[in-house]
Amino acid sequence: MGRSKGDLVVFIGKRLLQLIPVLLGVVLITFIFTHLAVPNPCAAWAGPKATPSVIKGCEQFYGLNKPLPVQFEDYIVGLVTGNWGIDPLTHTAVLPSILAAFPATLELVLAALFLMVVVGIPLGVVAAASSGRVADHLVRIFYLSGWSTPTYIAGAVLFIWASKEFGLSGGAFSTITSPVPTITHMSVVDAILAGSPSATADALEHLVLPATALAFINMGVATRMTRTSMLETLPLEFVKTARMKGLTEFWVLYKHALRNALITTTTVLGLTTGAMISGTVVIESIFTWPGVGLYAYDAITSYDFNGTIGVVIFFAVVVVVANLIADVLYGLLDPRVEWR
Amino acid sequence: MASATASAARAAAAGSVEEEPSGSGVRSSVVLFYRILRANILTLVGFVLVVVVSVTALLVVVVPPITHLILGHSLSILPYPPLDTNAFPYYQAPSLAHPFGTDQNGADVFSNVVAALPTDLGIGFFVAGVSLVLGGLLGLVAGFWDTPGTLSGAASVTIMRLTDIFLSFPTLVLALAITATLGRGEIESEIAILATWWPFYVRLTRGEVLSIKTQPYVIAARAAGVPESRILFRHVVRNLLEPLAVYFTMDVGTVIVTYSTISYIGVGVPASIPEWGNLMYGYQDLLLTAPWTVWSVTGAIFVTVLGFSLLGDGLRDILDPRSRRIVASPGRQSSKLEPSS
Amino acid sequence: MEYRVGAGTFRALNDVSFELPTHRVVGIVGETGCGKSTLGHAIPRLLPQPPAIVRSGKVVFRGVDLLRLPKWQMPSIRGTGIGMIFQEPINSLNPAFRVGDQVAEAVHIRRMRERGLDPTFRRDVQGTDYSRREMPRAGDVVSAPFVPPALVDRAKARSPPVSKELHEEVLSFLRLVRINDPERIVSLFPHELSGGMRQRIMIAMALSGKPGLLIADEPTSALDVTIQAQVLTLMKELMEEVQTSILFISHDLGVIAEMADEVGVMYAGHLIEFGPVAEIFESPRHPYTKALLRSIPNRYKSEGPLPSLAGSVPNLSRMPAGCAFHPRCPIARDVCRHDPEPPFVAAPAGPDGAVHRSACYFPEEVASLP
Repeated sequence: MGRSKGDLVVFIGKRLLQLIPVLLGVVLITFIFTHLAVPNPCAAWAGPKATPSVIKGCEQFYGLNKPLPVQFEDYIVGLVTGNWGIDPLTHTAVLPSILAAFPATLELVLAALFLMVVVGIPLGVVAAASSGRVADHLVRIFYLSGWSTPTYIAGAVLFIWASKEFGLSGGAFSTITSPVPTITHMSVVDAILAGSPSATADALEHLVLPATALAFINMGVATRMTRTSMLETLPLEFVKTARMKGLTEFWVLYKHALRNALITTTTVLGLTTGAMISGTVVIESIFTWPGVGLYAYDAITSYDFNGTIGVVIFFAVVVVVANLIADVLYGLLDPRVEWR
Repeated sequence: MASATASAARAAAAGSVEEEPSGSGVRSSVVLFYRILRANILTLVGFVLVVVVSVTALLVVVVPPITHLILGHSLSILPYPPLDTNAFPYYQAPSLAHPFGTDQNGADVFSNVVAALPTDLGIGFFVAGVSLVLGGLLGLVAGFWDTPGTLSGAASVTIMRLTDIFLSFPTLVLALAITATLGRGEIESEIAILATWWPFYVRLTRGEVLSIKTQPYVIAARAAGVPESRILFRHVVRNLLEPLAVYFTMDVGTVIVTYSTISYIGVGVPASIPEWGNLMYGYQDLLLTAPWTVWSVTGAIFVTVLGFSLLGDGLRDILDPRSRRIVASPGRQSSKLEPSS
Repeated sequence: MEYRVGAGTFRALNDVSFELPTHRVVGIVGETGCGKSTLGHAIPRLLPQPPAIVRSGKVVFRGVDLLRLPKWQMPSIRGTGIGMIFQEPINSLNPAFRVGDQVAEAVHIRRMRERGLDPTFRRDVQGTDYSRREMPRAGDVVSAPFVPPALVDRAKARSPPVSKELHEEVLSFLRLVRINDPERIVSLFPHELSGGMRQRIMIAMALSGKPGLLIADEPTSALDVTIQAQVLTLMKELMEEVQTSILFISHDLGVIAEMADEVGVMYAGHLIEFGPVAEIFESPRHPYTKALLRSIPNRYKSEGPLPSLAGSVPNLSRMPAGCAFHPRCPIARDVCRHDPEPPFVAAPAGPDGAVHRSACYFPEEVASLP
């Protein structure tokens, strides 16, 4: 009930406990959608020429012949113990594959988030400060363009244009000339850790296009929210106080007004994690970026049910954790919020 | 030395002052609507785009059966039948006969793109509309009757828990997973998107209801003994309409983008149905060889979604009560601009 | 000063002309919506443009017409030239920063300018320099313990936000406004302070720029009556100590009588009477001033209900022709109902030679009103 460090720890602990029922619900819903909609995927996997005994064996192997509640129990036990099933086509385990791919996705999302913050937020401030004038119109057209462009078009156009103009190709590690030891599985971070400028430049070159595409389509969220909350903040008295101190308009806007407007923007940025992750599925498949999005794309299009379920649950966990981080950031940014 | 003189000499004669809108509610809302559109050129552009796109979609659907009834044979506003393979030479650049050129199957791109319009727009309105009604009702229940310890309070908690769970899924990924399990098809894809779409409306509606409920005018109405049903409809539902309308307007575009993405990935609408995501899937490798195909589909999606976004974004600026006063009534302006007192 | 709204334009300030002599306090009084706050905001050009438009007029400060100054030069006038205290201390402090940092920012700006390090700063409108004088000693301490002990401990744990020297100056300004434990207060956020305390911080912040002109826009209206009295007492004491000119805006004639040397009465965007405070109170020369004075409660006589002024201030978009006050005026005649409006003329000079001006065709008859 306050704002000390202890309160923050208690607050985060409570929120983590609250996550448990949400995650159980996530698993249950995923299970229902997959097991009720397709009670027996073995027939699909085995193909039309499969003999009944083959299908039977498949059912046996995946436990599909057991009653649904038992299947669900097995599934929960598997999830908790880290056994998320195996891909029936490639016979690789789901969870290790996802975890191995996650750093690449995290790197992509963080890079896009960085662009959204560095470009999107100042644009929102500019638009709000010139509300109703040409600069405002231009900014709005810019972010609504991103909003109106499907991810796959932005990605594909950028990809094809860049590979024609610069001969760039996708993939985090595909054409890296001087291989560096993989420590974090994030191409740029690994290259920096290895102390190799050429590898860093190469990794950045590969990161910049997918990150730009991902940032462009989600730019609207950062810019629009900043613009809206700036429009709400600018008429407030304390902005006048800041002006009356003799501060120039730049500091009035970017220190006093934006500091307050950022409180809302941060929350909303946390809530866009879901959209960003959805974006990675398309972007990663276009740029063959070896992340969870590409894994999800492959799993879904090859009807790999274990992989699909695993990826959906994994992404749900990521979204929930991102929302928790946004909540904590909100509390840190707004001194009036009490941690309870 | 510190001598300040404030002097505003008599100002030149002020211009004419527009009368406040008076008269019937309908007329004043028409006046408000006119002011809204005039206030911002981008909103007007969005409005025009939405009208043009909607009318075109309606014509594509309505003209063939009507002409069939009247003339005995169907006419279409499409110049050629869509997805008609080998009808024309392949890869023809745009010309008078084929304004958007022809594609790798020898079909007229313009006809394909326009034929897809009713499908995509219809899905946008359908998914956003059903989500609006379903999520709106659930959100209203969860927000208005949330007294703990009652049956409705328990229902409210249940709704919100369920909403939280669904909100934890990344929309597109869950929709993709559901379509993948349900199989390809128009209805299947719609169900998949719907399943992920309604929670946003629950959250929005409940948040609005909770904030309206604590407004002084609602408390005053309660104190004056106004029945709950009247409070619900006159105050709560009435004030919900504007934020929901704004969200819905922008959402139609978002649904179209998501839906076409599902088709593009190849698990959505069957390839035999003209749909923008499907078309884009077929054209994706032609960006360098026959760029008009890609740009036609891109342009169609972009213009449609941008229209809804511009309109929704502009409506939000205007329907926000604070900025609304500026547009709506010059007479009350003084209270806003006079900074204090 | 006009506002342009939709197709309409209306005048919020019209024919407001007065002088504010050095180290004097001019009070501006009027009903809600008469334009007194607009006036206060128009002088440092705080009104948003658009919709506000300045059609004509001058605001001369230290020989510079502020209305002709390029917009980018305005910040250099503010803070060290003109300071301002706003009505609601809850809203006028930035909720996201500690109050110490907010005061420190104002001090920092002034110090940069004193050292010539502010590129936008104009020497010719430099602030009154009382920096070399001894800081005034704090008077009696009035700040009461209102912060829970838990907050105090935590506040002490927070490190000082600014450099030592700056920090000391911030503390001295907080002591100036009679805050007895500034070391603790500086690390609190605005929402952790009481209303009276916030307004003290605002006053400290305005004074720390050492402005030549201080505009106080209803500084006590949003406070409780007891706190109001404390803040007024503080301001009264500070007026003696800091020697700046003050424009004191209030709807409360009692407060104005207490604080001001000269009074301007505003009605519907017009200045209708201006003169020394004693003159205005004893022999008003406009029927509106008379009516305002009549509605002050008199603690010695209570003869039934207080007289009140019928009607309300006209809508600025539909101003009556002629004298703006004529629809409510008991002595209005035909000449008042037609253009032009009555001129703002000086009364025959009194014994002390002070100027007393009013905008009424029949100033002599006002005395005979009940």
